Amino acid sequence: MRLLLAALILTMGTSPAGAQWLDRATPGIPRTPDGKPNLTAPAPRGPDGKPDLTGLWKNARVVGRPTPADLQPWVLDLASKYQEEYYKTRPFYQCRPSGPEAERFGETWKRIIQTPAVIALLNDDLTSRVIHTDGRALEADPAPSFSGYSVGRWEGDTLVVESNGYNDKTWTSRYGISHTEKLRVTERYRRPDVGHLQVVVTYTDPTAYTRPWGFTADLTLAADTEMLEEVCEKTSDHWVQLSSTASATVTVPPDVMARYVGVYTGIYGGSLRTYEVSLAGGQLIATILGEKIEGGLGAPGLDEGAARTLVPQSQTVFEGLGLAYRFVVDDKGVAKDLVVIHISGPYTYHRVR
Amino acid sequence: MKLLFTVLALVVGTLPAAAQWLDRPWPGIPRTADGKPNLTAPAPRGPDGKPDLTGIWGGGNPEAALDPANEKPWVHELVIQRQREYHRGRPSYQCLPSGPEVDRFGATKRILQTPTTIVMMMDDLSYRVIHMDGRELEANPAPSWMGYSVGHWEGDALIVDSNGYNEKTWLSRYGQAHTEKLRVREVYRRKDFGHMDAEVTFTDPAAYVKPWGIKSEFRLDADDEMLESICERSSEHWAGTAADAEQRAVTVAPDVLAKYVGTYTGVYLNIKRTIEVTLSNGQLIARVIGGAAIDGGEMRPLVPQTDTLFEGVGLGYQFNVDEKGVAKSVTEIKVAGPITYTRVK
Repeated sequence: MRLLLAALILTMGTSPAGAQWLDRATPGIPRTPDGKPNLTAPAPRGPDGKPDLTGLWKNARVVGRPTPADLQPWVLDLASKYQEEYYKTRPFYQCRPSGPEAERFGETWKRIIQTPAVIALLNDDLTSRVIHTDGRALEADPAPSFSGYSVGRWEGDTLVVESNGYNDKTWTSRYGISHTEKLRVTERYRRPDVGHLQVVVTYTDPTAYTRPWGFTADLTLAADTEMLEEVCEKTSDHWVQLSSTASATVTVPPDVMARYVGVYTGIYGGSLRTYEVSLAGGQLIATILGEKIEGGLGAPGLDEGAARTLVPQSQTVFEGLGLAYRFVVDDKGVAKDLVVIHISGPYTYHRVR
Repeated sequence: MKLLFTVLALVVGTLPAAAQWLDRPWPGIPRTADGKPNLTAPAPRGPDGKPDLTGIWGGGNPEAALDPANEKPWVHELVIQRQREYHRGRPSYQCLPSGPEVDRFGATKRILQTPTTIVMMMDDLSYRVIHMDGRELEANPAPSWMGYSVGHWEGDALIVDSNGYNEKTWLSRYGQAHTEKLRVREVYRRKDFGHMDAEVTFTDPAAYVKPWGIKSEFRLDADDEMLESICERSSEHWAGTAADAEQRAVTVAPDVLAKYVGTYTGVYLNIKRTIEVTLSNGQLIARVIGGAAIDGGEMRPLVPQTDTLFEGVGLGYQFNVDEKGVAKSVTEIKVAGPITYTRVK
């Protein structure tokens, strides 16, 4: 899969890496007789007898999706506005730190380094945070920051982390969910064995949320490989908006669009993704196959699997939910590839049907 | 134009820190009889007997002086071009990582040390990892912003070798360029509890005739905390070149300009600074006493953008006037935020 990733051209700065310690065996982890990492061996412990969370941890599917009933009305209103310009407003797409955002917690690889007084979490987007485990308490009146302030203590084999001091420039969820500077975040980390780290996160912010809500992330050790940088180099200022504001001044004849209808497959986010492009009512529709999340926050198109209407910008370029869709055609105008252009760069899907 | 400059009155994230563990003594560090950190106590050692570099360290302002004789011609040209567009081109002003740039190297950093990994975390939340587990640098690394680093001990000195930097970073704020073949060697010696020598050498034959580098001394910021400093908006949108400013220039009558002539003082980077504003041939000139060449030098012609707002070497200069139009202060607008100089003469 990493080799497939290498084939991707990401303008977000990741390196299509031929080398880079990607196939290097991680020293010091227990192995099965055939030399593979033994991910179910007991978790390592530090000199103080506590579990050691040190390691490289892969990204994981995290859905930070409060129900509307969890949210104060102003948060729900603001979320709808943010969703309309999602690709411009999400802090991550502004090349800003994501702070306590649930989905970014899941999306990033992270390197955890545990020392007696400080545990550092280093993300692949070159942001970081520290958890102080030297017994200090959170400040009552912290100066607001993107990364917050975190203190941790052990309860048995669970690391309990409390954080405050977040500025209000970040979201707690990619669905545009805001929080105030009074946000408190509680995280509970458990490493049941070598290969797994379970994190339960709770957000408390009475001004923003009617009750605490949160998510669970199940992380897997990235053994025998290395983490690559994914640096945000350019904000989305210049180009993307959602369909409601995209103007449809270009007309593309139906017989031209008919040559784009088909099924396209490529790699996105490290996994295979399939688009089905169909023609209905004189409009092209693109649907991501196979991934589905239940609705509830009125976020059309932020949910995988949603069909998106493609609004023509030229004969071969369309706009759908803030992304550009470009059909690469042969000399007969028949599409061979579909290129979907995100902030992080263009992703090419090859036509398979 | 005024809108652009007002948008510019933003903070690169420094915090007016009233609280935040800033006055919290570090537990377990050596102290003198009066309770202060004993910075000349012996350096602590880790379980492996090696010096432990863990701590929050302040920088030492390394100076990477230009040496044109050592620069290949393409580097020299790039340096000149970069100095002209300094406030727009420097990676940290683009909210981009600084990689091996020595001036960022001198900024406050938190070092964490374990037997297999040493991490240096910067106040802009970026970081770099030094692998101490015996691995070697890759022969053909994928280019990155922060490079790839491996380290080993030679006696009590930590030797760090790095490669795999992309070309988008500078070696210092003067704009020295490098290629993807850059190799960096750092040598760290924690002499005592509060002091660490750092020596950095750059080797890049396609860019420099001979290897060159800097020496610096880090000081432990004992009993202190490192606060976040985030670049929120790059300077792309506002600090133009002199040519841009000329294009947008307006005409301001000499008798109006005359009311801005005077001497102004303020504090910049904890140092008192004086700006002398004079009028010469219908043009205001600001002389920033002590202004380094890289920051535009001392003499800055001020190009009017409005009656009170001027552009000088990519920075905004806003004269704040009373009801008679006489300037009482001038605000210098940089990416890092505005600094106001009060008129004293």
